[in-house]
Amino acid sequence: MEKLMPALAYALLAPLAGGLLAGADRIVSARMQRRVGPPLLQPFYDVAKLFSKGDVEVNSLQYPLALCHLLFMALAGALFFGGGDILLVIFVFTVAALFLVAAAFSSASPYSFVGAERELIIILAAEPALLIAAAAIYKVSGSLNFHAVAASGAPLIKQLPGVFLCLFYVLTMKLRKSPFDLSYSHHAHQEIVKGITTDLGGRTLALIEITHWYENILLLGLVYLFFAFSAPLALAAVALTYFLEVLADNTNARVRWQLALSSTWTITLLLAGGNLLALYALGGN
Amino acid sequence: MKTTIVPLGPQHPVLPEPLSFDLVLDNERVIDAVPSIGFIHRGLELLAPKRDFEEYVMIAERVCGICSFMHGMGYSSAVESVLALPVPRRARQLRVILAELSRVHSHLLWLGLAADAFGFENLFMQTWRLREEVLDMFEETTGGRVIFNIVKVGGMRKDIEDATLSRISSRLTAMKPQLKEITDIFLNDYTVKHRLSGLAVLPEAEARELGVVGPMLRASGVVSDQRLGNPMYEGLRWEAAVEKDGDCHARCRVRVKEIFQSIDIIAQAAGAMAADGIAAKIASAPNGEAFYRAEQPRGEAIYYVRGNGTRMLERFRLRTPTFANVPAVVKLLKGTELADVPTIILTIDPCISCMER
Amino acid sequence: MAISPLIPAALANLFKKPATRLYPHEVREPFARTRGSITMREAECIFCGICQNKCPSKAITVVRAEKTWQVDQLRCLACMRCVEVCPKKCIEARSARPAPYGSDRAGSVEKKTGPAAPPTAPAK
Repeated sequence: MEKLMPALAYALLAPLAGGLLAGADRIVSARMQRRVGPPLLQPFYDVAKLFSKGDVEVNSLQYPLALCHLLFMALAGALFFGGGDILLVIFVFTVAALFLVAAAFSSASPYSFVGAERELIIILAAEPALLIAAAAIYKVSGSLNFHAVAASGAPLIKQLPGVFLCLFYVLTMKLRKSPFDLSYSHHAHQEIVKGITTDLGGRTLALIEITHWYENILLLGLVYLFFAFSAPLALAAVALTYFLEVLADNTNARVRWQLALSSTWTITLLLAGGNLLALYALGGN
Repeated sequence: MKTTIVPLGPQHPVLPEPLSFDLVLDNERVIDAVPSIGFIHRGLELLAPKRDFEEYVMIAERVCGICSFMHGMGYSSAVESVLALPVPRRARQLRVILAELSRVHSHLLWLGLAADAFGFENLFMQTWRLREEVLDMFEETTGGRVIFNIVKVGGMRKDIEDATLSRISSRLTAMKPQLKEITDIFLNDYTVKHRLSGLAVLPEAEARELGVVGPMLRASGVVSDQRLGNPMYEGLRWEAAVEKDGDCHARCRVRVKEIFQSIDIIAQAAGAMAADGIAAKIASAPNGEAFYRAEQPRGEAIYYVRGNGTRMLERFRLRTPTFANVPAVVKLLKGTELADVPTIILTIDPCISCMER
Repeated sequence: MAISPLIPAALANLFKKPATRLYPHEVREPFARTRGSITMREAECIFCGICQNKCPSKAITVVRAEKTWQVDQLRCLACMRCVEVCPKKCIEARSARPAPYGSDRAGSVEKKTGPAAPPTAPAK
């Protein structure tokens, strides 16, 4: 990790930015549905309320596992913004996701169990896309370091449009938006009640919420990287991407896991794989 | 084979009312579904011998919130049958209008719940936004959004002016483009079709054997609608909505057709209102028994009353459509995936408070 | 895979006024026929008790000797049966719902008293 300042800035500020983003997400979603929506700071009020609840934990493993989920996610993001190896970031990110799955598996609730299984399928579906994205970034910019890639001025989006579109598709899964909000979403009406967080409550759930904020900022950082040659364009692209994700959430039903897995892998193969193959074919080496 | 047992209900966010299925799962495939019912049984039929038969209409209405008007109407019609009471034509026309409006409301409510069951919250919100307009029409004419207190044995308690009726009819007709936009999504959207098409197919022979009623039956190709041949609907031109596929998508199509049909029926009735009074005087107490069959939004409801000449009935029995449809659900759940269970339960449009009274 | 027609609708919705109302900060004017609650004009009441007999939820209590009439607003269904059967037509239907009550139910019983009863014969 090269730069300590951005890493620290991420560790301290990402929850604030992520929380505001979550609040904006809910208001935009509500307006698309012709509702008024909550106040912008509502996610912070929710987390504060969750921390104030009493300890009704199902077992003694949930809280430590959720804490590991938070710490590893924050570590992944800090590594990313601090200039660490992006491939390492992806693997730490996956480990963080697995801690959440472990927390869900640790309880005896059948809903939690099914949610955890589905979460594993989602991780399985999304991994190839992330790895191909890392490989593609290296191919085009010669580096796996956020700052080096940004400083190189390489216009990733121009050479990696397929990879970017594939990333957009996979982002829907990671952001828990329809059509891929199979394992957990902010609406409790799913057939598996709350999915992986069914048996998690109080301070454990608060940690999960905060981790989602960290995660969202990290993923949007990855989106930023594709447009990093121009900071204002990149910020606009990030905002537009998130807006389109919210739009997708509001215009699609949830799909079954078989379609989620098969469609993601097909798109990864065709768009991301195809993009990468084209680069090799056209660029030589 | 490792199996888990997932208790779906009685409290579950996706179910509109308490209904319990213990699902035996192998990974996400349902091997067996064990139903439990009786969570909101209130013993309303038991009150019939304890209340004046004219007052009992209010209890009949409160059997269910969505089907409330038709329950009151069905009960009153059965008692009027025993009394051989001629109900004025205007009262019957008002009943038809409110019954069809109830059908529009009920199907809009169901569309919203179905959208919510397959994870499409925005569609749920839009559908219920249209439902609010229908509720406003109820409140404007009867004074209540859910329980109307407007039907009584012999006719109607209050009259609704012709001007109000035609205004309501025009508002419904004006709502049609928005309704079409929303229902087109149910019928044509890719992710919705992915969730509904080919799911829980009920062939015609099985449908007849299991004794299902209402849209469940009509979606399997059987032309069966209690409004056909009902003297209250004479003079009104309409067709039963029938589909052949028998899957969840076909049932959705049936209900969508019925919404537009009901709007047409209301327009026809509102344009030809009689002026012969709204209630007949009751001169005696019911002595004898009668059946009345109504076409509730969920299917055929049978109202049986038996009186012995006193002010209190001897027996009131209500066979609700959901009770006839639940055995089909138990059968359809086997072999499906967990993700489809709420959709299949909702495809019969379950009204558990009706079923259990 | 066709483009969902909800996409332009969702985008258009962003610029429309929300369809929801911020109740209780904004309260809608009730319809004329809305069955909200009942009240009584005590000057015309004869305390016959028919409304008490006909009330399905036993919300009305009439004590003829003391000339008091009261309705428990929390029991009242606003079915308007009392309005129909009152011989003096002194029960009024209101379209406003009663205000919310606290857990102590304070103010939920609306009591009316008639003019002072004529003096009874003095006790021996």
